[in-house]
Amino acid sequence: MTIITVNGREVEADPARPLIDACHDNGAHVPHYCYHRGLSPVGSCRICQVVVSQGDMPPRVVAACRTPVAKGMVVNTEAEAAHGARKECLEFILKNHPLDCPICDKAGECSLQDNAYAEGQSECRSVEPRRELAKRKSLGDVIVLDQERCILCSRCVRFMEEVPQTPQLAIVGRGTHSRVETWQDQPLSGNYQGNLSDVCPVGALTLKDFRFQARVWNLRKSASTCPECSRGCSVTVEVLRDGPVKRIRPRHNEAVNGYWMCDEGRLGFHEREQRPRLAAALLAGASGLETASASRVIEVCADLISAAERPLLLASPFITDEEAELLKQLSASCGARAAVVIRDTESADADTILRTGDPSPNRRGLTEAGLEALSPAAAAAALGEADCALLLGERSAELVGFEALCALPVKLRLVLLDSYAPEGEIPALNACLGIPDWTERPGTWTNIDGHKGQLLPARPAPNGTRPLTATLRVLASILAESGTPTAADIAEEATR
Amino acid sequence: MNTILVWLIKVLIIYGGLLGTAALMTLAERKVSAWIQHRKGPNRVGPCGILQPLADGVKLFFKEEVLPAGANRLLFRFAPALTALPAMMTVAVIPFGGELELFGITTKLSIADLDIGVLYILAVGGLGIYGIILGGWASNSKYSLLGGLRASAQMVSYELSMILAIVAVIAVTGSLDLREIAQAQAAFTDWNIWRQPLACGLFVVTMFAETNRHPFDFAECEPELVGGFHTEYSSMKFGLYFLGEYSAMVVMACLATTLFLGGWSVPFVPEAHWLLGLAAFMAKTACFLFLYIWVRWTLPRLRFDQLMGLGWKVMLPLALLNLFITGALLSLTGA
Amino acid sequence: MALVKRKELSLAEKLYLPEIARGLSITLTKMFGKSITRQYPEEPLPTTAVTRGQPRLVERQDGHLACVSCGLCEAACPAYAITIDGQETDRPIEREPERFEIDMLRCILCGFCEEACPKDAIFMSSELELADYDRASLVYGLDQLRRQRPALQRRIDYIHGINERW
Repeated sequence: MTIITVNGREVEADPARPLIDACHDNGAHVPHYCYHRGLSPVGSCRICQVVVSQGDMPPRVVAACRTPVAKGMVVNTEAEAAHGARKECLEFILKNHPLDCPICDKAGECSLQDNAYAEGQSECRSVEPRRELAKRKSLGDVIVLDQERCILCSRCVRFMEEVPQTPQLAIVGRGTHSRVETWQDQPLSGNYQGNLSDVCPVGALTLKDFRFQARVWNLRKSASTCPECSRGCSVTVEVLRDGPVKRIRPRHNEAVNGYWMCDEGRLGFHEREQRPRLAAALLAGASGLETASASRVIEVCADLISAAERPLLLASPFITDEEAELLKQLSASCGARAAVVIRDTESADADTILRTGDPSPNRRGLTEAGLEALSPAAAAAALGEADCALLLGERSAELVGFEALCALPVKLRLVLLDSYAPEGEIPALNACLGIPDWTERPGTWTNIDGHKGQLLPARPAPNGTRPLTATLRVLASILAESGTPTAADIAEEATR
Repeated sequence: MNTILVWLIKVLIIYGGLLGTAALMTLAERKVSAWIQHRKGPNRVGPCGILQPLADGVKLFFKEEVLPAGANRLLFRFAPALTALPAMMTVAVIPFGGELELFGITTKLSIADLDIGVLYILAVGGLGIYGIILGGWASNSKYSLLGGLRASAQMVSYELSMILAIVAVIAVTGSLDLREIAQAQAAFTDWNIWRQPLACGLFVVTMFAETNRHPFDFAECEPELVGGFHTEYSSMKFGLYFLGEYSAMVVMACLATTLFLGGWSVPFVPEAHWLLGLAAFMAKTACFLFLYIWVRWTLPRLRFDQLMGLGWKVMLPLALLNLFITGALLSLTGA
Repeated sequence: MALVKRKELSLAEKLYLPEIARGLSITLTKMFGKSITRQYPEEPLPTTAVTRGQPRLVERQDGHLACVSCGLCEAACPAYAITIDGQETDRPIEREPERFEIDMLRCILCGFCEEACPKDAIFMSSELELADYDRASLVYGLDQLRRQRPALQRRIDYIHGINERW
């Protein structure tokens, strides 16, 4: 590590990284557009200019993203010359930039807005009209391009070359006619298109599914982990007014996903947002399932388990490590078989970048916790053998299969603890209780490499759901205390 | 038979008129005070707000009747009546006009024609004080008690001066009968206001004090005593207190007219029709009622010690002086 | 230390009667003066260009709102009265409000929304009356908030006039 001086303080700088990283790591603000830590630097935007001097050399303005660190360098990021250079750069960029802030989705998280505000660049000295280009150009199913807003930083071009390694975007034309385009206006392809809206510093490349959905300052953001595959990319879940999830973006995690995430993770939440939630406590009664209190349902569940000879606790791979721990303890205390439904890996889904092809986010965590891994068919068979089963975890009913569940014998006393309501009537179902989904509860998932991914609640769980951890604890405490009720009592309770 | 019928008619009209005037006084108070203050009074309820007293009455009926804890139930309920009744009883002897033929009976325009009219009024009117004291005491509240005691002290002290002023008028007229006093002022120049100016002034001042009106309303004013003797009263009991107060005002105004402004005599019209006389009487009474309101919105309130000081140290000596002078003049002129 | 000089009162002043008479004459003359009462529902409240009434959205001649649902007024509102959801439109402006609600029970008529708007789409009208029977009806949606330009012209001219000075 080389020692340099940044804004009067001596700091350590990594000689393998450009000067701009040393400045950022030590709290010095250097604006940047074309530079991105996850991409190769080009030095084309010229806004990262700082004043650097070394030894006897007089101070000069350099682009920090293309300047290697050297021992004894003295860097001043707040010098007047630096600010002046940045203002000039901004003036040129803004000269042709359309006045789209009121309708642009990037407003609120736009570097151009922030830097123009910080440097105070608001006046335009040119009288000529701005150049006109395509405004709402669709680049496929995921991305929409606004060529006028583009500041030609080429981050999108470099991203497509370096990360999915499918160079689909290029800057064509020269001078004032430069614009970003695909070859013959073909739509983009690939599973990583969504990252283009993250790398673009302005609102030129935006997500179609997020278009006009919310203003970013109204979104409440929480750190979480993606549930689509066992990579467990770190994400930020963004929720509007404690209601719907509006956007999921990747968080930087050097060990797991770098700066990126795939489109399935980014866009997959929409389908599940539409599904009807199981947000009630229901008991099988004379005319199908009737509403009851959650504590009543838990009591019935405890009675059923303690009366059974071959109880089965079947989890979905979406339960957290903490819930798995409690499940293990519960199974140990009541002598039940504890298993998790794991779908087979679909190797066609895997790629060399992020996707693992394994759709169970916590497979490693659950198998390490000691839960038996069953395929959906084996799980259905296990359910058929048991005389009482607790099917718990988000999407557990979906994973076992609705038809398989309907085919179960009625004498199997099935209790369902799931986030989503089953598609129809399940004859074997005795009771069910709603639980929060992955955006509504805290926990940990262990990814394929053993990294622990944090889950944090991004929004309140719907009324009528009970956290699974609480339910498991209550069940454990009831089963630890009570004796075994008679079969007649259970039959009476179950039909009440 | 006809006598009873005529008497019944007279009672209904005069008594009804008294209550109606008292009710209209509430409206007049609000309207005139508004005009003095550059605003309009109530003008929404009927044309020019004529039905406002009706609305106020209905509102009072709908209010909750409150009985304070620890209050003496019987007296608390009875006291407002005890204030209202004497005012209504005194109107019986006020002469509103001369003679009139009705259903073949010649009748005088007053309910009862007592020859000790003045004495009757003073005796019965004095009973009104009981209602205030009892109301104040029976409320079991310190504001009420103080208000009641102060009101009673005030009324007693000013009663003396009032009586002495009236005595002067009686001395001049030579009769206790209100009708004779009025008839003695048939000519405009015979009005007692010219013959007994000091007594008139004294009577007007004590008239305010007797009815607990501004500037002598310390007993019931809000900044000092919350509500005085009527703090704890609500709904129609409160309404009855106020009806009693306004009735007393009307009766006092009628009395002042009779004693000092010639009753029903129309100036410069010697043999007036009874209707004209009645109209003149009502006009003169209206002047006094207007004076009540006019003074209320002009003068500052007297503090209680100033009030008592005025009553004993100024009014009483002046009344005695007036009586002395009157007596001296009467004996000298031999009239 | 200056002594307070108390003027000796003359006999007339002590008697207080001339003062009483003077006071009575003043109140009597006031009685016949003009009353200043405003008969409210019949006489409306006076408003000028400066009056900040309730916020209203400008509707252009082609029937569309000038609003692009940028959300700046929602962000500026200190009472959190405004809720906006945007949607796509085929017109060149690209963005228009799908839902624009102002909870009039929260609105404090401060005019920050009018100041914040970059599109001259919302102005404080001179409408001041606000009364209804339940809370839900006082959350005004797009239909209740839109007004034709001429209805807001006085306020628009005033705002443009003062902004000239910036």
